[in-house]
Amino acid sequence: MVNFLKLTQNEIKKVYIQKSTWVLYMLLALIIIGGGILTVTTDVITKEYGEDTWKEELQEENQKLTKEMEEEGLFADYNTSLIEINNYYIENDIRPLGYNAWQYVQENAMLVSLVSLFTIIIAAGIVANEFRWGTIKLLLIRPISRFKILLSKFVAVLLFAFYTLLFLIILSWIVGAIFFGIDSFNPHMVMDKHGGLEYVSVIKEIIFDYGFKLVNLFMMATFAFMISSIFRSSPIAIGTAVFLMLAGNSIVMFFAEHSWSKYILFANTDLTQYVGGNEPLIEGMTLSFSITVLVVYFVVFVCASWGVFMKRDVAGN
Amino acid sequence: MSKQAMKLINLKKTIGKKQIIKGLDFEINSGEVFGFLGPNGAGKTTTIRMMVGLMKITEGDVQILGKSIRSNYKEAVREVGAIVENPEMYPFMTGLQNLNHFARMIPGISKERIQEVIALVGLENAIRQKVGKYSLGMRQRLGIAQALLHKPSVLILDEPTNGLDPAGIREIRQYIRKLATEQNVAVIISSHLLSEIELMCDRIGIIKDGELVAIQSVNEISDTEVEKELLIHVQMEVKPPKSAIELLKSEFELDAEFESGLVRFQCPKERIPSIIQTFVQNGISVYQVEVSKARLEDKFFDLIGENSIG
Ligand SMILES: Nc1ncnc2c1ncn2[C@@H]1O[C@H](COP(=O)(O)OP(=O)(O)OP(=O)(O)O)[C@@H](O)[C@H]1O
Ligand SMILES: [Mg+2]
Repeated sequence: MVNFLKLTQNEIKKVYIQKSTWVLYMLLALIIIGGGILTVTTDVITKEYGEDTWKEELQEENQKLTKEMEEEGLFADYNTSLIEINNYYIENDIRPLGYNAWQYVQENAMLVSLVSLFTIIIAAGIVANEFRWGTIKLLLIRPISRFKILLSKFVAVLLFAFYTLLFLIILSWIVGAIFFGIDSFNPHMVMDKHGGLEYVSVIKEIIFDYGFKLVNLFMMATFAFMISSIFRSSPIAIGTAVFLMLAGNSIVMFFAEHSWSKYILFANTDLTQYVGGNEPLIEGMTLSFSITVLVVYFVVFVCASWGVFMKRDVAGN
Repeated sequence: MSKQAMKLINLKKTIGKKQIIKGLDFEINSGEVFGFLGPNGAGKTTTIRMMVGLMKITEGDVQILGKSIRSNYKEAVREVGAIVENPEMYPFMTGLQNLNHFARMIPGISKERIQEVIALVGLENAIRQKVGKYSLGMRQRLGIAQALLHKPSVLILDEPTNGLDPAGIREIRQYIRKLATEQNVAVIISSHLLSEIELMCDRIGIIKDGELVAIQSVNEISDTEVEKELLIHVQMEVKPPKSAIELLKSEFELDAEFESGLVRFQCPKERIPSIIQTFVQNGISVYQVEVSKARLEDKFFDLIGENSIG
């Protein structure tokens, strides 16, 4: 029996040997480095608080923030929450860490949507391109079941997502370390956790922030993979998946009055609605409900992909 | 000695309501080069797709070394190497990367084996170039290399002479013959041009509209039948041609025609000496006599009709 690892290795190699993949990585690197430069040059961030003077520094900050609010009427909510956080530090006698690599990594969690987009692009092409190149014929006339061939491709997509995510996190941390320093290997900070202010581990926050976003990435990648397998066209797969990713929330909002709207995929991909005192999107939804819905969607996507791929007559284009 | 390598049993394919393959029954032996001949749209590629499991078989079966491609796919397909339609490879990888890729899909292919097939198809110099930069002939060779990696018992090549220059065709002919005789591989070659495969095939099966209309051993024709009765084409350069044509009519009851300076007619080979003798006796000068060898071609034309050849 052919080693499944070798099949996956083949698929991964084909992804990374293509220049277009490296363009995606370069884009991501550019955004991470650019973001670092932008933050260090224009943002008002404090690199470090003095050991003896940090309380005064925080109070100064508060005064500046208050003045900004009163004089310019800007950022009222945002500034208020910053002042509250500063007060929490002072009251609890905790010296805050300066802005550091960990915080930069945490802020870059929003770039996971870019990783999702890249994963969609890869998933959309991984089956369709074999048909476009005509290589599908050579791929399928081997003593390997079609089931396994498709599985190796799906695993390759997940591996791509994993590597890209790792790239995002590690490069963000390195860029962050260069521009802002590291400060600590187990950093803590005060955050607004809806239930009130809390002194929390930044690393734990990073894991949560990234983790919750992976749900959407995983579902949309599987969706694009399915379209790719059924329609053998990567533009169609990218188009539909990206459209749904962008329009997902609007779709849910549009149908919000209908009771069945809670069964829409996008009503369930954001699991943060169930943590930290958040309100569920639609009344009556629970975490286990959402997980069930996600699993059902996933099973449908997978069955459709494999069903079509295994049955299909491979003829000319 | 001649073991059955591949067997088609009442093979049928229906797509939608259209029956494309209407029941093929024949076998190919080990060490034999089998020509699969037919005009465009006859169903050659469709048949080949079923042979390798790319298309579902509607009815019937294909057996490779006795193993059914329907019920025992992995075991059966392991014995097959193929190019289906065009020799498509990953354009962004080098020839070697392509071969390594396909070698990883079958257990037990060594680095040495890969080098061996590269040498066999003569691609040593281009193997580290990107396939996107290959000429069609080079891709054809790489396609054959890929098909041979796992030492298949049956090699299926769909129009391998497509896009090759005469030298390339001759080269392919040589190593296909070599594979058949030295390694006892059964080779199936499809084509719509008889002249391109006639010289390398032992047997030729002619397919038209999804049906096998004839199956013919190439040697058989030249040795036995023709010697006796089969009509062959004769072209003569004679002077004066007009009296030669009259003489052929009166003495031999042959209808001859005069075309581009040559008198053409058909007759059994045995009668040629006496025709020449008669000509000489009647004062007709004979400058040249040519006997056409394309006998199979005629048979092919007869069977499928001249106009339908693409
Ligand atoms: N997917 C399909 N759906 C419907 N008809 C098809 C399909 N594939 C092939 N055909 C039809 O089947 C017939 C045989 O096609 P096939 O490609 O097997 O011919 P071929 O002998 O290989 O011809 P060529 O010499 O042009 O390569 C054609 O009439 C074609 O129109
Ligand atoms: Mg064809």
